[in-house]
Amino acid sequence: MLRRIWTVLATVSTVLVAATTAVAAYPDKPIQLIVPYGAGGSTDVLARAFAQVAPKYVPQPVVVVNKTGGGGIPGRVDVARSKPDGYTVLFGWGSGEDLVVPHQRPLPYDLFKDFETVCRVSVHSIVLAVPAASPYKTLADLVKAGKSKDYLTASVSTKGASVDITFLLFGKAAGINVTTVPGSGGADAITKLVGGHVDFGGGHPSEVLPHIKAGRLRGLAVALEERDPSVPDIPTFRELGFDVVTAGSVKGIAVPKGTPKEVVAYLETKCKEVAADAEFQKIMKDIGQPVMYQGADEYSVWFKKAYDQYGGLYKSLGIETK
Amino acid sequence: MFDVAGLWQGFQLAFSPVNLLWCLIGCVLGTAVGVLPGLGPAATIALLLPISMKMGSPVTAIILMSGIFYGAMYGGSTTSILLKIPGEAASVVTCIDGYQMAKKGRAGAALGVAAIGSFVAGTIGLVGMTVMAPPLAEAALKFGPAEYFSLTVLGLLLATYLASDSPLKGLTMAIFGLLLGSIGLDPLSGAVRFDFGVADLQSNLDFVTLAMGLFGVGEILISLESSKAAGILTTTIKNVFPTLADLARSGWAMVRGGVIGFFVGILPGGGAVLSSLLSYAVEKKVSKHPEEFGQGAIEGVAGPESANNAAASSSFIPLLTLGIPGNASTAMIFAALLIHGITPGPFLIKEHADVFWGVVASMYIGNVMLLVLNLPLVGVWAQLLRVPYAFMAPLIMVLTLVGVYSVNNSVFDIWVMLVMGIFGYLARKLKFDLGPLLLAFVLGPIMERSLRQALLLSHGDFGIFFMRPISGALMGVAVVFVLYNLWAARKQKRQAPARAA
Repeated sequence: MLRRIWTVLATVSTVLVAATTAVAAYPDKPIQLIVPYGAGGSTDVLARAFAQVAPKYVPQPVVVVNKTGGGGIPGRVDVARSKPDGYTVLFGWGSGEDLVVPHQRPLPYDLFKDFETVCRVSVHSIVLAVPAASPYKTLADLVKAGKSKDYLTASVSTKGASVDITFLLFGKAAGINVTTVPGSGGADAITKLVGGHVDFGGGHPSEVLPHIKAGRLRGLAVALEERDPSVPDIPTFRELGFDVVTAGSVKGIAVPKGTPKEVVAYLETKCKEVAADAEFQKIMKDIGQPVMYQGADEYSVWFKKAYDQYGGLYKSLGIETK
Repeated sequence: MFDVAGLWQGFQLAFSPVNLLWCLIGCVLGTAVGVLPGLGPAATIALLLPISMKMGSPVTAIILMSGIFYGAMYGGSTTSILLKIPGEAASVVTCIDGYQMAKKGRAGAALGVAAIGSFVAGTIGLVGMTVMAPPLAEAALKFGPAEYFSLTVLGLLLATYLASDSPLKGLTMAIFGLLLGSIGLDPLSGAVRFDFGVADLQSNLDFVTLAMGLFGVGEILISLESSKAAGILTTTIKNVFPTLADLARSGWAMVRGGVIGFFVGILPGGGAVLSSLLSYAVEKKVSKHPEEFGQGAIEGVAGPESANNAAASSSFIPLLTLGIPGNASTAMIFAALLIHGITPGPFLIKEHADVFWGVVASMYIGNVMLLVLNLPLVGVWAQLLRVPYAFMAPLIMVLTLVGVYSVNNSVFDIWVMLVMGIFGYLARKLKFDLGPLLLAFVLGPIMERSLRQALLLSHGDFGIFFMRPISGALMGVAVVFVLYNLWAARKQKRQAPARAA
């Protein structure tokens, strides 16, 4: 009996000690930013820009770790199952895998029960573009051509992802047939578009902007409620008379559920500081990604709204779900 | 035609002590990474990204990273030749004749020719890049889904016929490779296929895992059968370095490989792999001794190894002139450029002439460094084969286990490798060649994706593969190739009974 009490006491005290030291000293070792995508992609570039500026505000190194493969799911599983101590942080919270894919198929974690939202860093809107040599100068030209043809082809990064859904939604709003051609990711889709193998296509500003600047692509519309600050010259679909608004792909930060409140608050503050940093803003401008910071509470509400919006689109577009 | 002043400025930049030092470090690291199984160039570049951020100049950072990338191409052939373990997909073909040469005591010649060929072809690629980068990049854009599909069909046919004695057995292995390549996420819809409810199978199998299992572990199992604890060598090492006769035989193979590699390497995707296959096919076709292929023909090493190096150089063309990274390593370099505030693309040559020409010039220097580094190593590597197999086998086993684990930090991959090892052993006992399997595994996903994309574009009309000029021509070559081989096989069959009678 005595022994048992002793064990219980010992356990309790260790837990207490562990808990207090964890909070008091956080962070006392490097923080891992888990990017569930390949190196060189837009999320990876963003995470690396973040990690580069973070040392100004965080006393420990912030390290980017790419957990690739499996369409971004295994990296999320890793974070969801990691120790909730604030040292394993998911970067890319709010991407297609979080807002869109759950409507397609079951995932090995619960989106709302296994993760704790920290903040939003950026929103990657969706730009519709045509090759520069294309006869379509405006969105109206494209729609007109679509009505006279059986179908228009559009290259998109992956099936059922935000770009795909946005273009299907556009087809529905404009009353034209759109055949989307998915590929192996953003770069693949843009290459096909620049090569003129499809009628139109598009992606996030960071992907299309260099080609627009180079005069290879022409941006026709952005699928946000308001114009995207990284491509201010491109009108929104709404301005042009089509009700096509999607959340795009959102880049936020999350930690496993059960992470101490103080740690989450600490990370949130640091993210805010990095987001406001002049060097970070300069890098973001160069890579064509807007800084659109939101704190944990605000972003959680926004996240749920975007999630429900995509769910509704899935139903209304009649996209096959498995 | 090209900017002489720019190149001159680039050389001045590349010859600064700091840049020379980092170029050397990149080349040494690249060679090491290429030789060691597992950790590939892309992962190494990723690890070095944080350091590169601290470097003052983006030129220095990119010089280091590109050094790792093309340095790894030099190193990649080493394990193919010595141990029959391809370090990367572009070196699978090298296993065929390279390993046979090693068995005959000519590992030094094979390694030497691979190094010299890499240098020759790397330089051909660079000259091509210096002179005609922008127009070529434009031409590469003409390759759409239909063209890719036709090219991979041709590549796969070549793999089946060339990397195997029996076309039927080669085809069987190729189809098995295609099946293995289709495990995991569907390349278009992202749906999970053939996972049999195993979570680890939901992500696609890894090339390194397969290659090490089939070739590395398979070879060890085979070696267990021989009771003698002999080395890999069955004869003594005669010449550590390639003889003049070797060089004379492989000289044109290097040039041809270099040219093929340069052009095919511009295509994003499997450029390096396809170019090594095409080069092997061409060498076998033009050779005066086609019967030596598969038995240790030196051209079979020189051609493909040259091709994959030229492809490594030319894969920088779409990256730097169009902003389109064609493989994992150039994707990392793409990211590094972005973080340094430089957008790779059509404006790079104009707006950041120092970066473009500095990197190009450093690659000329790096190629010389790699040759100087690698030729003395040839002797060292060749001596490695003197180590009795009783010591080598456990060492290879440990290296492959660590290598496979390090790719994804996954224990599951180790199991996959071991299963593949047993499969590789059985296949070899039944005289099935494993090259077609591995090549089909690499090309399969590209093939499937482009097939389905093309059919989406044409709404199911197969005419798209034959009506477009480039695609139609490639398909034509493929059809002629099959018909020719069928005809040759029939002729042989008819002659055989006649001779017997």
